[in-house]
Amino acid sequence: MNVLIVEDEKSLADEIAHFLKSENFLCDISYTGLDASEKIAINLYDFILLDLGLPDYNGLDLIVEAKKTSTEASFIIITARGAVEDKVKGLDLGADDYLAKPFALVELLSRINAVARRKFKVTDSEIILGEFIMNVPSRKLLAGNAEVDLTKKEYDLLQYLVLNSNKVLTRHQLYEHIWGNMLDDQYDSNFIDVHIKNLRKKLNFHAPAHWLETVRGVGYRVSREKWVISKDHDET
Amino acid sequence: MKLKLKLSLFNLLSKLAFTGLFLILMPFIIERINLSQVDKDLIQKRELVISQISEIGIEPFMISDSSDAFGSYNILKEEFISLERIDLNENWNFIEVTPRIIEGEEIEYRVLNYSFLIDGQMYLLEVGRSVSSIGVTAGNIRKVMLIFLIFIIVISFVTDLQYNHFLLRPLDKITGKLKKIGEPSSFDKTHVDTTTTDFLQLDIALRELMEHIDLLFKKEKEITVNISHELLTPVSVLRSKLENLLLKDDLDPEISEKIEESLKTLHRLQSLVDSLLLIARIESRQYLREESISIREVLKEIVEELNPIAQDAGIDIRYDSDTDHKFIKANRILLFSMFYNVINNAVKHSSCSGIINIDCLFNKNKFIVNISDSGIGLSIEQISTLFARFKMRNQNSGEGTGIGLAIAKTIADFHRIDIHVTSNSGKGTNFSFIFPEIS
Repeated sequence: MNVLIVEDEKSLADEIAHFLKSENFLCDISYTGLDASEKIAINLYDFILLDLGLPDYNGLDLIVEAKKTSTEASFIIITARGAVEDKVKGLDLGADDYLAKPFALVELLSRINAVARRKFKVTDSEIILGEFIMNVPSRKLLAGNAEVDLTKKEYDLLQYLVLNSNKVLTRHQLYEHIWGNMLDDQYDSNFIDVHIKNLRKKLNFHAPAHWLETVRGVGYRVSREKWVISKDHDET
Repeated sequence: MKLKLKLSLFNLLSKLAFTGLFLILMPFIIERINLSQVDKDLIQKRELVISQISEIGIEPFMISDSSDAFGSYNILKEEFISLERIDLNENWNFIEVTPRIIEGEEIEYRVLNYSFLIDGQMYLLEVGRSVSSIGVTAGNIRKVMLIFLIFIIVISFVTDLQYNHFLLRPLDKITGKLKKIGEPSSFDKTHVDTTTTDFLQLDIALRELMEHIDLLFKKEKEITVNISHELLTPVSVLRSKLENLLLKDDLDPEISEKIEESLKTLHRLQSLVDSLLLIARIESRQYLREESISIREVLKEIVEELNPIAQDAGIDIRYDSDTDHKFIKANRILLFSMFYNVINNAVKHSSCSGIINIDCLFNKNKFIVNISDSGIGLSIEQISTLFARFKMRNQNSGEGTGIGLAIAKTIADFHRIDIHVTSNSGKGTNFSFIFPEIS
């Protein structure tokens, strides 16, 4: 998929591009609004990551321009301006999502994927996790025929880890995804540990879940190899 | 009391006082005027009598030698004239009030005494007028005056009231404008129509002041936005760089750990900026209060959210109260954050097997939420700095910026909620949230 990154902060744009390339996206970068305007007119993009705080251009105008030239591009607005008005204006103009700086790169990826799934009408079906089956549309985790009784937060946590499988997610990244940008300073790594502990307890009640790993000093990871292995092991 | 009523009342009182004074003094004044008028009359009559005597002589008045006096009075005994012989050495010339007995009836008279010499004989002329006839006219005048004055007072009070009302209407409009405003930008900028220069100046000064404050508020908003952009951009650059590093395969576990620690530190910086921005935004009224929310629902959601953590630490959060309050003009996210901060704070500072009690009640039209813990309690000094920014109770608690309670206080102020903290050392702390009175 083609992505245009419109961001005047050069090193941030480069980091986002680096990350998205490693996730197999094709990336273009515009450091100015004018350059972005030209690129949008010439090229076809699937996604445009747009920083609203451009020095030479009102970012919102770019959305209007792009919509006029009937591009199919989906916009994800990025801004440090957390002001509600910007968010509402952007979404009114047809932006697909909104991320406040600073954000986690994995969060950006999951937003892009979510927009892509909506756009291309991909229906998530089932993900097989060793002995477990995650039914994404119904938000249920099944162990054989039994449903694993997860709280909303536990399910969200697990799904986020699964959708970002093989990546280590820090406690803060997990916290931010599940609680959003809470309006306080109460980020507490203990929150995630407790929820993972409860989650593991519930999973282990049905079957061992080795694929849910703790990465010491960093965070948690769902390992695709391990869930496949345990699946193979099961079948053989 | 309204200014116009005060003015009218003052006018009324001063008029009453002057009228009262006048009514007290009036009898004396009228008496003086009357007496001097009567005395003039008496002197005139005396001149008349004297001129008659000098024309026709004294004899016609003194008919017989046997009688040495002459007297004449009119039919109602209001006036009399008398002449009598007196000794040569007597000399009378004065006016006095004295009783006389006429036909067995004692009557008070104002009497002019005048002695004169004719043909070697001294005569005393007395001209008198009854005092009661003088009094009658004075009494009449007083009655008419009283009615007239009462009439004048009533009329002038009513007209005063009307005029003051008319005169002070621009002031009413100005105070009305001030009453309605919630913030400077909503100030009614229409001119008040008046010819009174004081009100014109007041109106202009207020309008200019409001415009000035409004401008400052806008500037503050701009500064907030700019600072947020300036501070958060480098933080996000660093964050992306570190996250990209962490995603590298085959990373030395030690390096991973160091990167994660750096990310944590970075996050503290980020949440600090976020918190300060949040407070600045609330204080510059960038949040709206347009939602109507159920406090019970908010508290239930928070308890549900915090329960896993509390249970893991062996802490019991008790919330059984069914009392609910529909809080209108609220911002749900902010109120959620306020209660969340305080309850989470209680969880953090409770030891194993601690209890956190949440209780809701109504007291005299006011809704109150009490959140109490069974922790170690706070000293008076600690309570006094509890809501100050960056003063953490426990400096070793690591994460958190020590600004959570300052945020809670800012949100409470924004919603006009009073927070009262009481604490018994060793027995725990109680936070009372007192909501604005239900009208």
